[in-house]
Amino acid sequence: MTGLVYGSNIVITLMVAHLIASVLAVEWRSLRWSVVALALQSALLAGIFASFASLYPGAQYLWAWVATALVTKVVIVPVLLWVYINRLPEREVQPVIGFRLSIVLVGLMTVLFYRLMHTYIEFVAPTPDALSEPARSSLAIAFAVFGLGLYVLIARRDAVKIVIGLVLLENGVHLSLVTLAPTLPETALLGILTNVVVTAWLLLYLTGAIYRQLGTTDTATLSTLKR
Amino acid sequence: MPAPITAIESNLPWLVFLLPTAAGLLIFALGRFSRLLREGTALVGLAVTFIVSVQIAAQVLQGHVLTAWGQNLYVDGLSALMELAGSLMGFIVVIYSMRFIPHETDSHETSAVRRQTIYYGLLLLFLGTMNWTCATNSLVMLWVSLEATTLATAFLVTFYWRRQSLEAGYKYLMLVTVGMTFSLFGCVLVYTAAIPHLGGDAGKALLLTSLGDVVHLIPANIALLAAAFFVVGFGTKAGLVPFHTWLPDAHAEAPAPVSALLSGIVIKVGAYALARTVTMFAPTYPAVVVFVAILCSASMLIGMGIAFVQDDLKRMLAFSSVAQIAFVIEGLGLGTYLGIYGGLFHLINHTTIKALLFLSAGAIMYATGTRKISELSGLSRHMPITAFCFLVGALAIGGMPPLNGFWSKFTLFLAVGDAGLLWAAVIGVVTGMMSLACFTLAAYRVFWGGYRAPAFAAANPHVKEVPATMWVGMVALAALSIAIGVYPQLVHPLVNSATRCILSILGQ
Repeated sequence: MTGLVYGSNIVITLMVAHLIASVLAVEWRSLRWSVVALALQSALLAGIFASFASLYPGAQYLWAWVATALVTKVVIVPVLLWVYINRLPEREVQPVIGFRLSIVLVGLMTVLFYRLMHTYIEFVAPTPDALSEPARSSLAIAFAVFGLGLYVLIARRDAVKIVIGLVLLENGVHLSLVTLAPTLPETALLGILTNVVVTAWLLLYLTGAIYRQLGTTDTATLSTLKR
Repeated sequence: MPAPITAIESNLPWLVFLLPTAAGLLIFALGRFSRLLREGTALVGLAVTFIVSVQIAAQVLQGHVLTAWGQNLYVDGLSALMELAGSLMGFIVVIYSMRFIPHETDSHETSAVRRQTIYYGLLLLFLGTMNWTCATNSLVMLWVSLEATTLATAFLVTFYWRRQSLEAGYKYLMLVTVGMTFSLFGCVLVYTAAIPHLGGDAGKALLLTSLGDVVHLIPANIALLAAAFFVVGFGTKAGLVPFHTWLPDAHAEAPAPVSALLSGIVIKVGAYALARTVTMFAPTYPAVVVFVAILCSASMLIGMGIAFVQDDLKRMLAFSSVAQIAFVIEGLGLGTYLGIYGGLFHLINHTTIKALLFLSAGAIMYATGTRKISELSGLSRHMPITAFCFLVGALAIGGMPPLNGFWSKFTLFLAVGDAGLLWAAVIGVVTGMMSLACFTLAAYRVFWGGYRAPAFAAANPHVKEVPATMWVGMVALAALSIAIGVYPQLVHPLVNSATRCILSILGQ
């Protein structure tokens, strides 16, 4: 992707919106709205793929990434989440970290992760192409989203929210896959996405069963096995 | 000198994973109609898969590798070894389950038929995904199929559908998925970095067989980063410290035959993936060898240390798996002939021994309804066959000659010492002695137990030996453990061939 359009306003706008949607998905305490933000975040991800596909000549194969992302990440996963949230408490279990502190932390983390990756990209860029824009920004964004997902996994107690965090984390991976390995064969792409969808479904199914037995989706109560 | 390896086109790589998958789907479709359809389909599916694996092994031992779908499926000695072990273990586990699983479901709820159908269906699907992992030659498909083995086994862990098993299943699925994500990064880094060195051929950069030739050309920082990601991701799957936290819960809360499969085979698939990926980096980067050895030594000490203080027999076995898988991975990570040989040999031995011990623990639960060591005593009077099998397993896992565990551990100590990592060899020996002490002590307390035995017998007058369909698998595994110990040449051709296959991909 070297020597091609740099600084295209569309790509930059989409990426910033993608980050904002990620933060919303993390911080919205209503699970329904959180899922809406997640669907929006995934749609913007597909938008980023689409902008790559249309901006670069000879990158038509990226439309396969757009289509698969739309089907799995924008439709199937949010619908699954929505269906299960209808059977579970709508409000997220009170997190350990309060809302204000969490907002500050998330903001700081996002900026920090983005800056870190953008500055020290040489350490992780497998090819010279990844050093140039927009791959550089794209990877930095992917890293920041991955970090947000990890933050949810570590800091949140609600089982459904943790699944949302896992999907965020996978979306970060997804963006880095497109940036680094756009030529990945369709079979591999489909395999990866099928795994993500099935994992989310199985986890939600288990969450539903846990709620029926224990009357809560608080993962802090899942500690009988700790020692 | 070994004969040159020739590649031949074959349908067997397709059959070895499509057959069990098809059998699994068939069980999902028809299993609810009768017990014969569930268990019969499972047994036939596994028997046919076993026959295919034997055919593959026979071809591989003649110096062939089998390929299909261009180069995308590639079955060599290592794949054959895993497939053979997997289908044999699956067969034993299904025979054991025929009595064990109805016993566990009837008392719980009326949907027993549905749960048994799902149980056998997932068992076969797991074998399908595992054989797919071992047959694929594509780096990314290796990741995809490995993650699929996690998905197939998740609902086997939660079989009992009660609080602890749901908790264990949730943790298992979540932690392994997150860990595995790191190895996906590793795959992508290696893939992208390798493309320019393979003449820009993106299709070729995905093949494990062509990556081995160019891995030393990849920039050092990328190679080391990818190796670290592989260790984290596949290490989580294998249950290495510090990524092991899901393992004791999942392996202890699953039904005993599933635990046997999880500790016997599922974590080995993680080790298989490490053998296919991290071993590539060992010749160029000695730091990778040391990194792997440090992690493995920590696993041995921590795993065995925690196993020592467990009162729950299955948790003790699960923590010991954390230590034992470290022996396997340490050997594979060395990247030398002796190291890989020892690692693979221990992989086979640990599969038989740990499955034997878990099935024996299941037999104890079946007969007494408890798995707490402190609540058991003097069982050898009531259950002589189980007592014998457990004792063989306990001695074998401790590395007592002339049982099979001795030979593989001995090989590993030699290999580790040979590589100049004397401290790691010492830690290995210490861990081996701890295992021996831990499990002979547990066997003594459960099956003999001195003064407490009469009181236990008086309180539990109805405890008796488990039915033949359950002990026959245990006795077969104990016999295998003794046979390999007395005559290690039994498995030498296959382990040797598998080792040579790994080394030939490394270009040695």
